[in-house]
Amino acid sequence: MSRQITPEVVLAYDKPTKGYLCPLSANTYGIEFLKFEIKDYDTNRVVYQVAREPDPEPLPDSLDPEVENMIRSVKYTFPASFLKFKTVRTLLEFCVGPQPVGNLRMIERHFFKDKLVRSYDFEFGFCIPSSTNSWEAIYDVPQNSTAVINDYVSNPSAHKSDSFYFVDNKLIMHNKAEYQYVRD
Amino acid sequence: MGLLTIIKKVKQKEKEMRILMVGLDNAGKTTIVKRLNGEDITTISPTLGFNIKTMTFKGYKLNIWDIGGQKTLRPYWRNYYEKTDALIWVVDSADLARLGDCRDELHALLKEERLFGASLLIFANKQDIPSALSVEELEKALDIGSISKRHCRVVACSAVDGGGLREGFDWVVTDISSRIYLFS
Repeated sequence: MSRQITPEVVLAYDKPTKGYLCPLSANTYGIEFLKFEIKDYDTNRVVYQVAREPDPEPLPDSLDPEVENMIRSVKYTFPASFLKFKTVRTLLEFCVGPQPVGNLRMIERHFFKDKLVRSYDFEFGFCIPSSTNSWEAIYDVPQNSTAVINDYVSNPSAHKSDSFYFVDNKLIMHNKAEYQYVRD
Repeated sequence: MGLLTIIKKVKQKEKEMRILMVGLDNAGKTTIVKRLNGEDITTISPTLGFNIKTMTFKGYKLNIWDIGGQKTLRPYWRNYYEKTDALIWVVDSADLARLGDCRDELHALLKEERLFGASLLIFANKQDIPSALSVEELEKALDIGSISKRHCRVVACSAVDGGGLREGFDWVVTDISSRIYLFS
């Protein structure tokens, strides 16, 4: 089934998916996220930071759906002031297994109340076998009106995202996230 | 509307530049990229893969690919040549013992067909070290005079104090834009 999910297909989605579009076992490249950081570029304030060691062993083939969901989804709580940042700095660090990765591409779709609000599409390209790699992005974000900010704050988890990772146009990972914003 | 006008429109919309940063290990590539945005440079470890940095500079979106320079990683550099607009070669100007190695790797790289069109900036890094060679001395040691048919410049810099970094990136971005965004 996951064979038919191409970048073009996910780029056409207009709301979050129901469930995951590939099994955890589709990640045959041993790609693991080690670090993720979100900062306000202007003040250097950290709003999210997580780091971990690579898994010593691969995951078992079958997992309880609840456990799987825990592994594949994140619930972020951000300060509402995050919605006012002008420039954001994100840092992602990941490692790959012993085989070369052809063309790694990430597509992330953000929805608020089931409407597309953001879409990111980034090509990492080739990854060296057994390498650890990072991507730091510094980007300007559109300014939100007070009404929009209030809407995000008063609707916790109405902001959702799907992250799709492709290698040579084949879906190998699909994760989800939900976001809530709290007044500082 | 002629073809050139169409090309101009496409390029203007994207305004993206792909910059490949390579050189021997311990030349200071990662430190340069980190330093460029005033980040902490006290804990930089050898790059065992790539570090990508996406940032805006002079109105352009730069994607800088800093690839690890260890000997075992160099055969993988070729996977990153495609679509490269500029090449930044970083030299440890105080590593006299490996200047020959540095020269050979650089000239081998310049033979690569996919990089023929790329601007070449050579960062003579580590100028803060008293024994560092000057730009003139390095140009001689690296046989820069033999490089033809290519926009090329050597800039003295220090990733530790930040000197020269802006000048180098200014030149790269201006050179690419005058070549690619000729009509903008």
